[in-house]
Amino acid sequence: MSKRASLVAFIVAVAIQTLILVAVPARKVFTRATGKTVILKVQPVDPYSILSGYYATLGFDISRVEAFPNAGMFQGFSDGDWFYAIVEKGEDGTWKPISLERELPDNLPDNRAALLGRINHGAIRYGIEEFYIPEAQRDRIADDLRRNVDKARVEVKVDRSGHAALERLIIEDRIY
Amino acid sequence: MTPDQNMSSKFRAALRNELAIWIQKGIVTEEAAKQLSSAYELDNLRHESTRLLSAVIFTIGGLLLGGGLISFVAANWEVIPTPIKLTLLFATLLGIHTIGFWLWHSKNWGRLGHALIFCGCLVFGANIGLVAQIFHVSSSWYGGFVAWALGSLVMAWAIRSWIIGVLALGTSFIWFLGFQSDHDQSASVYPLILAIALLPLAWIIRSRVLYAGTLLGIVISACVLAGYQGSGRQLLFTMAAGGMFMWTLGELHRASAWRVEFANINRGLGLGLLALAAYVWSFHYLWDASVFGPMRSLWAFLFLSLAIAFSLLMWTRARPTQPLLTAGVLLAGGILCATSLLSGATANISDGEFLFTFTTNLAALIVAAIVIAVGLIDERRLAFWLGSLYLVLLILSRFLEYETSLLVKSAAFLVCGVTVIIAGISYEKYLRRNAAGIEASKGVGHE
Repeated sequence: MSKRASLVAFIVAVAIQTLILVAVPARKVFTRATGKTVILKVQPVDPYSILSGYYATLGFDISRVEAFPNAGMFQGFSDGDWFYAIVEKGEDGTWKPISLERELPDNLPDNRAALLGRINHGAIRYGIEEFYIPEAQRDRIADDLRRNVDKARVEVKVDRSGHAALERLIIEDRIY
Repeated sequence: MTPDQNMSSKFRAALRNELAIWIQKGIVTEEAAKQLSSAYELDNLRHESTRLLSAVIFTIGGLLLGGGLISFVAANWEVIPTPIKLTLLFATLLGIHTIGFWLWHSKNWGRLGHALIFCGCLVFGANIGLVAQIFHVSSSWYGGFVAWALGSLVMAWAIRSWIIGVLALGTSFIWFLGFQSDHDQSASVYPLILAIALLPLAWIIRSRVLYAGTLLGIVISACVLAGYQGSGRQLLFTMAAGGMFMWTLGELHRASAWRVEFANINRGLGLGLLALAAYVWSFHYLWDASVFGPMRSLWAFLFLSLAIAFSLLMWTRARPTQPLLTAGVLLAGGILCATSLLSGATANISDGEFLFTFTTNLAALIVAAIVIAVGLIDERRLAFWLGSLYLVLLILSRFLEYETSLLVKSAAFLVCGVTVIIAGISYEKYLRRNAAGIEASKGVGHE
């Protein structure tokens, strides 16, 4: 391979690596920039599996199919099935489960949002279940979560197609 | 074409030694010897071994440098604002790659440059994880590995690097392990992707490690698919067929002289797979289990077909001992495959327990005999010892598996120990006799 050809091949390879690095968070960046803010209440999670490496695993009301009043219509679902979870803003500022839909609803009012979720081992996952935390704060956040899980909320952004991006974890007035 | 691309250093070192004898014997003229020496750059051999050492040192240095940079960024993560974090990540990646490429093309620092580009690919993998952390990208644990594998693969092709190819192989295999447990059938195409993505690169750059590693990756991934589909006998069939495939491919390389340097590593890995399959299924209680489901693996049948095709292609050009060894391998592998198929035809698997245990043990004995034969024929000490130890392991496993008295077990240990010692002494004598014979024939030639 000539020097010129190897230079071109190298530049293409570096460009592809850069594109991959840009592509990894692209969806989340878009959702954060264009999405609607939704506050979700964090549900108690197994205290022994809160921290896995450098992230905390979170669960929500809307992670359970049974939390939706029309869950009975979705019996026999299997891993990999996609749903839109419709949530509505409650009086306490957190968003509550309203219904599960197969299709993305048109013209949702401002106080409602649709989150795209996928069934995984019996629970619905929205891509917002892992909250990455710095090493220095690991123990503090894990301890805070264990003690005050009923006061923990997450702020997420939800874009028009239902994709969600995690913004921050809030426990009482402490923002992580 | 440089000698690095054509011939191994081992071959060139042997050629350098032989050239002196050939000149003395008058087989080649001094002029022809000079031309050969120049063509294969025999004078550079000493410098090359030094360069290899420096390449290893540079690669380790590159690894430490990459680790240090990532740790530095991670240590100061909290206090760094997101835009600066991202700038740092991209600048580190581009900086290492750019310096690496610049050095790679310089005359004296090519290997350092290569090591830095390899380090850049490691930093690329770490960056995927760090970017995912910054934006809380939540996906399956294996998701990042496919991105890492893709970026490494492109770079391996761009700079024709075997070590970055191995990185792509390893990261893609980790992804495959996670992906196939979630998606089952759709992962079946992975061995084919591996073959298309890496085998041509290994062929072009003549990398034995990448070539054999990719083939092993193909066979192991087919075995993983067979295992996860819940069929023990399918796993046995796939391992046996994969072993035959790798051995016969190695023999074809040897007989045809196409990339002859790929021959031994493939033969060794093929025998290793057969030995492992035969040993695992040689235990009788395994045939008592009811985990033997249907045969669905297309890969196993593809390996078997290729093994037969390679044997036929190799047969016409084979050296005298090759057909015998290959016939032995096909016999051992064939017994294992037939046992696997037969076990499926048996209504109650425990009915055939005795027969299946007997045939797998027979296959294991044949494999042990082949490995020892390779040690004798090719005068490869490692093969002889591995074959002997495998045989001993097999015998002792049977004695420990079945309920025999302590006295019989102790006798078995003693007989095995004494036999190994006698076999070893005989083998060393055999090697010395052969070496003395070669020296004597050289002496006659000189006279």
